[in-house]
Amino acid sequence: MTAKKKKDEDISFENSLKKLEEIVEELEKGELSLDEALKLYEEGMQFSDKCLEKLNESKQKVEKLTKEGNKKYHTEPFSMQNNEMDEKE
Amino acid sequence: MSSNQVNKKIYTVSNITRHIQLLFSSDPLLRNVTIVGEVSNFKYHSSGHMYFVLKDDQCQIRCVMFRGSNLGLGFDPVDGMEVKAMGDVRVYEKRGEYQFYVSRMTEAGRGALFAAFEALKEKLKAEGLFKQEMKKALPRIPHKIAVITSPTGAAIRDIISITLRRFPNIHIIVVPSQVQGNEAALQIAQNIEFLNLVLPDLDFIIIGRGGGSIEELWAFNEEELARSIYLSKIPIVSAVGHETDFTIADFVADLRAPTPSGAAEMTIPEKESLIIQLDLLKSKLNRMMNHIFELKRQSCFNIVENLKYQSPKNKILQHFQTLDDLSNRLNLNMKHILHINENILKKYREKIITLSPRAVLKRGYSICFKMPEKVIVKNTGQVEKDNLIEVLVNNGTISANVSGKEEK
Repeated sequence: MTAKKKKDEDISFENSLKKLEEIVEELEKGELSLDEALKLYEEGMQFSDKCLEKLNESKQKVEKLTKEGNKKYHTEPFSMQNNEMDEKE
Repeated sequence: MSSNQVNKKIYTVSNITRHIQLLFSSDPLLRNVTIVGEVSNFKYHSSGHMYFVLKDDQCQIRCVMFRGSNLGLGFDPVDGMEVKAMGDVRVYEKRGEYQFYVSRMTEAGRGALFAAFEALKEKLKAEGLFKQEMKKALPRIPHKIAVITSPTGAAIRDIISITLRRFPNIHIIVVPSQVQGNEAALQIAQNIEFLNLVLPDLDFIIIGRGGGSIEELWAFNEEELARSIYLSKIPIVSAVGHETDFTIADFVADLRAPTPSGAAEMTIPEKESLIIQLDLLKSKLNRMMNHIFELKRQSCFNIVENLKYQSPKNKILQHFQTLDDLSNRLNLNMKHILHINENILKKYREKIITLSPRAVLKRGYSICFKMPEKVIVKNTGQVEKDNLIEVLVNNGTISANVSGKEEK
């Protein structure tokens, strides 16, 4: 799980988006053979999918962390209801 | 009781306030008095008047320094500054409060807190804790973030609601911590270390709290917190107080946000606009590809057209045309030649006509033939007496017999 995550990290959203932008620019120049253009187009679509995947990767979760000793902790859903203000705004 | 008798008179609020004011103004100690204290709650009103409080560790006094008096002030008072102020203590009748009307003020040295802040700032700066190149970049799309703050303050509410509004599917971990008081700095520092240990995959940590006095924000000026921020492998965003509050944590953090809600706005991208950006790029990609297809199709079509043009069938047709063309020209030329010859012929005919013997006959000459051989008689030796001859004249022949001949 963590290994997979680390691997995904290499292809960040920024990089994928940048690659996609570069591919569109390259196609705009119009100096490519059809084969090259098709190859780039396919790559572009893959990067676009990758970006979207990145955006939808995580799930919404709001948790409260409580420490239990040196390296242990537990989490529980965090609710913002009935919060009193204990500091000045 | 005598006191009852004295108090029988009934005063209005104004009467009694004026009486108090009189007491204040008749006391020479309260006039032209010099007070030393620490500035707090300083407000520079847009009218130009300054309102603040002077305090020491036990008491405080409300102060006002009017525009006319503060114009020549050689420094900008800030909270925590130690000042020496001269003026009168009088009653502000409208509010029934006494206050210190400052006419002159000098800097008596910075307050203890301020001095500590400046000293620590210089020290950490010299050590390189604020260096720009040491600051870690935050990922553009965070998936999992932690917030170390009070779990019940407005700060956490703002951060969570703004974060979820901008990017709904994100994992937020709230790490409850004291944010003011003696324990606060240590607690926040320990939480940073703990998160680095147990959740190293966090995209970043926001530490912060809402606004407050310099004392309430003090935890964020402590050295141990500064050092734990510096040592954190996970990027730290500091979001302390209001926009104008600067703390040591702000200088060390990888990103300084003006307020807690500002932290969410600066670090969390708007998913909606990212999706729009992505869609735009994708449709541009499709458009470009279609365009390239169209271009290639066009050049393909051109080549086929060219090939068609080069086909042998086309050559043959061309030859046919050449043939037609040549035969047309042949006809035309032939006609022309005929026409020319016709003319020549006509001319010769006319010439021949003028040269013909018949033309001579017309002029009255005649030709004599010896019959029946029909030979033209050119000398007398050709005929004998009684030979039959025929004389050709213009309009016919005359037959005759030779009756005699004579040589000349």
